[in-house]
Amino acid sequence: MDKKSVSVTLENVTKRFKDVKGKSDVIAVKDARFIVEGGDLVTLLGPSGCGKTTTLRMVAGFELPTEGKIFIGDSDVTFLPPNKRDTATMFQSYGLFPHMSVFDNVAYGLKLRKVDSDEIKKRVQESLDLVGLSTYGDRAPGKLSGGQQQRVALARSLIVTPSVLLLDEPLSNLDALLREQMRVEIRRIQKSLSITAIYVTHDRVEAMSLSDRVIVMKDGEIRQMGAPDEIYEKPNSRFVAGFVGKAAFFPVTLKEKRDDKWICLFNKHELVVSRPPVEMKEGDKGVLMARPESLRLEEKGKGYIEGTVRMNVYLGNSLESFIQTPFGEVLVQIDDPHSKKVFAEGEAVSISFSVDRVRLLHPDEN
Amino acid sequence: MFRKKQLIHFILAAVIFITADIWIYHTLTSSFDKYVQQRDFNEISLFVQTAPQKEENIPSWLNEVSSIIPGAASLYLSYDFDSGSFVPFASSDDNITLLYEQQRDSEEFKKAMESAYYLETEQISRQYTLTLNGQKVRTGVFVAPIIAENGYEATGTLIIAVPESTSSSYGRLIGTFALLSAIAFMLIAWVVSFSRDPVTGFMVLALFIIVGIFVAFPLIEALRLSFMTDGEFSFDKWALALSPSYIVALWGSLRLGVSTATASTIIGFLIAFLVERTSFKQKRTVSTLATMPVISPPFSLSLSIILLFGNNGLISKQLLNMGNTSIYGLGGLTLVQTISMFPIAFLTISGVLRQIDSTVEDASLDLNASRWQTFKSITFPLTVPGILSAWMLVFTNSLADFANPLLLSGNLRVLSTEAYMMVTGRMNDLGGGAVLSFLLLLPTVSAFLVQRFWVSKKSFVTVTGKPSTTLTELTTAPVRRILTAVAWIILGFILMLYLTIIAGAFVKNWGIDYTFTLANWKAIPDSWDSIVSTLLLALISAPVAGIIAMAAAMLIVRKKFPGKKFLEVLMMTPYAIPGTLIGIAYVIAFNKQPLILVGTGAIIVINYVIRELPVGLENGITALHQIDPSIEESAQDLGADVPTVFKTIVLPLVRPAFLSSMTYTFVRAMTAVSAIIFLISARWYHLTIKILSYSENLRFGLASVLCTVLIAIVLGVFALMNLLVKDDKLTRKTISTR
Repeated sequence: MDKKSVSVTLENVTKRFKDVKGKSDVIAVKDARFIVEGGDLVTLLGPSGCGKTTTLRMVAGFELPTEGKIFIGDSDVTFLPPNKRDTATMFQSYGLFPHMSVFDNVAYGLKLRKVDSDEIKKRVQESLDLVGLSTYGDRAPGKLSGGQQQRVALARSLIVTPSVLLLDEPLSNLDALLREQMRVEIRRIQKSLSITAIYVTHDRVEAMSLSDRVIVMKDGEIRQMGAPDEIYEKPNSRFVAGFVGKAAFFPVTLKEKRDDKWICLFNKHELVVSRPPVEMKEGDKGVLMARPESLRLEEKGKGYIEGTVRMNVYLGNSLESFIQTPFGEVLVQIDDPHSKKVFAEGEAVSISFSVDRVRLLHPDEN
Repeated sequence: MFRKKQLIHFILAAVIFITADIWIYHTLTSSFDKYVQQRDFNEISLFVQTAPQKEENIPSWLNEVSSIIPGAASLYLSYDFDSGSFVPFASSDDNITLLYEQQRDSEEFKKAMESAYYLETEQISRQYTLTLNGQKVRTGVFVAPIIAENGYEATGTLIIAVPESTSSSYGRLIGTFALLSAIAFMLIAWVVSFSRDPVTGFMVLALFIIVGIFVAFPLIEALRLSFMTDGEFSFDKWALALSPSYIVALWGSLRLGVSTATASTIIGFLIAFLVERTSFKQKRTVSTLATMPVISPPFSLSLSIILLFGNNGLISKQLLNMGNTSIYGLGGLTLVQTISMFPIAFLTISGVLRQIDSTVEDASLDLNASRWQTFKSITFPLTVPGILSAWMLVFTNSLADFANPLLLSGNLRVLSTEAYMMVTGRMNDLGGGAVLSFLLLLPTVSAFLVQRFWVSKKSFVTVTGKPSTTLTELTTAPVRRILTAVAWIILGFILMLYLTIIAGAFVKNWGIDYTFTLANWKAIPDSWDSIVSTLLLALISAPVAGIIAMAAAMLIVRKKFPGKKFLEVLMMTPYAIPGTLIGIAYVIAFNKQPLILVGTGAIIVINYVIRELPVGLENGITALHQIDPSIEESAQDLGADVPTVFKTIVLPLVRPAFLSSMTYTFVRAMTAVSAIIFLISARWYHLTIKILSYSENLRFGLASVLCTVLIAIVLGVFALMNLLVKDDKLTRKTISTR
C-alpha cells in the first residue's frame, strides 16, 4: 500500500438538475473550486440539501458535472465512469452485497482485478485484521451489527488501494458511542495509509475532529474553507459561525475605522474590534459574534450587557447559563464551574467579554 | 453537455463513413449498371445477327425480342433509298413507334441514329418512360444497325427499349443496405462518442432496436395493410369491419366480456374474502386450487366442458338426458371463461384485501357498528378499487381469449375468432384480420388505460410497514358456513373438470363407449415432434425473456437516457394487445424481405419473448426498487463495469423476480395459442394446436391425453420453481439495507 498520495482538484464545477416536472433547472452545486492536497482529509460540511453529497458523487463519477472539470492528481477524470476511477466510496448505507459473505464482499474488488486467489486470501485477511474483523470472513453481512458492517465497507474500499477515499456520511447510522470510536478508527487508518480522503457530513463535531481542512457549503455554494480552528474562530459569515458552533450575535453600528480596527457602538459602549471579513463602511450595521466559552458573567452593571439568569444547566466539566437579555437569550458557558462564581437562577447579571475574543461580521443571516 | 472534441470526433467519423458508404454504393451500382448494359449490348448484337432476310418475316422476328430480353419492345426501321433515311417498318409494340415519332428529331436520337448509320450499336444517353404491356416503366433505348451481307451497309435499324426493372430493384436493395449501414454506423458512433458509458448506450440501443423491429414495426405494418386494398389506399377494409355483419361480432365479444367479467369478479371476491378476511381453515388448499386454472392449457377446460355437457356429454346426455340444451354459445362460453379467468380476479382482490389493516375494522366495531355495517361501510369500500381492477382485467382477457370461443362459440360470433377465420379461411385476408383485431383493441386498450391510470389512483390502500397480525372476524358462523360451502362447490366443480380430462384419456369413445383403454396414449408418440418442439421453444424463450426483462428493468430503474418513458411504453404495449393481433401483425411484417421469419422457430421464440416481457419487466422493476442503489454503486466504484454489475450483483439480487418471470414465460409459452396459431409451421408445431385439431375432429380421447401431458409439464415446472425460490428467503430479507 505504498502508493503516492495524490491531490483532488475541482475547477469551477457546477451541477444542475432538472426539477421534478423537468421544466426548470435546480442548481445543486454552484461553481465549486477547491484542491484537496495529497494525504489530507477534507470534510464537506453543510446542512442537508447543500450539495455536499452531489459534490462527492461527482468526484466518484456517479454524477456528471454540468460545467467544470475534476482532476485526480494531474489527470482529468471529469468524463470517466466510476469503474475507471481510482476512487473508493463508503456509502451512508454501506452498500454491502447481501448475497455474498464478508470475505467475498471484501474480495470483490480484487477479483475484478484478476488477482490470483492465494494473494486475494492473504490480502483480504490483512484487510479484515486492519478493521478488527479477522474472524468474521464467512458471515453474511446481514448478520453483523451496524458498526461491523461499517468496518466491512471500509475494508472493502481500502483493499483496492484507491488513490482517493470518499466517505458519504459513513457514521450517521451508528449510535453515539460507536460513532466516536469509528471516527478515531477512520482517521487512524487514513493517516497511516496517508490516503487522500473527502468526507461528507452534517455533523460539526465529526468535521472538526477528523479533518485537516473543512469546507462549509450552503445552497450549493462553498461558503468557507479552512482548518477546523480557522473555521471555528474566524468564520466569515453569520451562517458559518452559527453552523460550526454555538454563538451569540450582538447588533452594533460601525463608527470609525482606525488602522486595522473598527470602533463600534454597542449598547452605549465603544468597542475596538478587528476588521470584518467583508468590506464595510462607516455607519453600517454589523454584528459581534461571540462563542459561549468567550463570554463571562459579572456582577450587575460591570459588563456590557445586562440580563437575568433564566436557567443553569450543569454538565460536569462546565455549566451552561442561559441569560435573558434585551438581545434575546444568550448562552454563557462557564468552564470548571466549581472554581468560579455561579449566579443563581433569577439573579441579575451582566455579560462581558474581551474584545479580541469577538468577531465583527456582516449582519446578513445567510 | 457535449464537448467540442466529441462533436468533432463524431462529425469526422460520420463524414468519413458516409463518404466511403456513398463511394461503395456508387461503385457497386455503376459497375452493376455497366454489367447490365454490356449484357444488353451483347444480347442485342447477337439478336441483330439473327435478322431474317425477307422483310415479311420481320414482324414475327421482332416479337421474339421479349424472349431474349424480358419485357423489351422493339421497332424495326428499314432504310429508305429514296429519302436516304430510316423509316418505321414494323414494331412489337405501338408505343415504341410512338416514342420514335416523338423523339426522332431530338439530339440524343439523331446522334444514335448516326452511329447506327456507321454500323455501331449505341445506347441513347437518356431514359424514356414507356407504357409496355400495360405498365409504365423506365426504359433504356438501344439503337442497333442490321448489317447487310456485304458487311459494310446497314439494311435497317432496330430500336429496342429495355425496361430497367430488374437492375433497379437490385439497385434499390443496395441502396437500402447502404442507408441501413449508414444509420447503424451513425448510431454506434453517436453512442461511442457521446456516451460516458458506452455499454449502457449499446444496451439501450439494442433494446430500442428489438422493440422497434418486433413491437412497433409489425403493428405499423398491420395498420398500414388495414388501409390498403389491392395495393392502393382505401377504407374498404374498415368499412367492411364496421358493417353490420362484423359489428355483430364486436357486440358478441362485448356481451361475453361483460358477463364473464361480472361472474368472475363475484366468485373471485367471494373466495378472496373467505381466504383473507375470515378464520376459514383450509386457506392454502383453497388458494392453490383457485389459482390452478391460470396455468392450465387452453382448450383443456373447454374440452372437459364438452365432455360433460356437450351433445354427447356425460352429464347432459347420459345422466340427465337434457336433450336440446346446448353448451355451445354465450352461456357455455361464459361458464368456461369464468372458470379460467376468475383466478385473475381472485388474485387481484385478495392482494387488496390482504393490505387492509384490520385495525380500521376494529375501530369501526369499537364504535358500535355491527359486523354487517362494518363490512358495508369500511371493508367493501376499501376493496372497490381492487374490484374494479379485477373486472377490467378479466374483461380484457375475455375479449382477447381465442381458444375457448374456437371450440365453444357455436352461434355466437366474437371478434378474435372472426379475425382468425378471416386470415385462414377462404378470404385469406391478412389486412381484414388485422382490422378486426384492431377493433378488438379499442375496448381492451381503453379498459387497460382506465385500470392503469384511473382505478390505480383511487386506491386507498397504503403500505404502512406494520404488518397486522391480528384478524378481525367479520362474519358470523352461519354466514361463514354458507360462504365456505359455495366456495367448495365452485372449487369442486373445477376439480371435477380436471378429473374429467384425465378420465377422458382412458376412455375408448367418450359419450358412446366408456370402456377403459390405453389406446389414446398413442397420442404421445404420434405428437412426439410437436411435444419436443413446444418444449424446446419454451425452454429457449424462458431465459431469453428473463434476462432481457431484468436488464431492461435495470436500465429503466437505474440509468438516465433519452426516450426512457417511450421505451417503457413500447415494451409494455404487448401486454394490452390481443394475441390475435400480434400473430397477424407478425405474419404481415415478417413474411417479406428483408426479414423472412415466418416458418422458422425463431419467430415463435421472439413472439413468446416479446409478449411475456411486460410481466417480467414489471417484476424486475418492483424488485429493483426495493434494492438500495448504493449496492450497485459500490460494485461499480470497485471497478465493475455495467455488464459485470448486472451479472454479479443485480441478477443474484433480483433472483426471485428473475426466476418467476422465467417460469411465467415458460408456462405461457407452453400454453400459448392465440398468436402462435398464425406462426406455427410443419417443422415447428405447437401442442395446443394439436389439441385443437384433435378436438375439432371429435377425437376427444387423444386431446385429453395431450392436455394431461401439458398440465403435468406445467405443474412440474411450477414445483421446481417453488423449490428454487424457497432457499432465497435469506437473500430477500437482507436486500434492503436502508
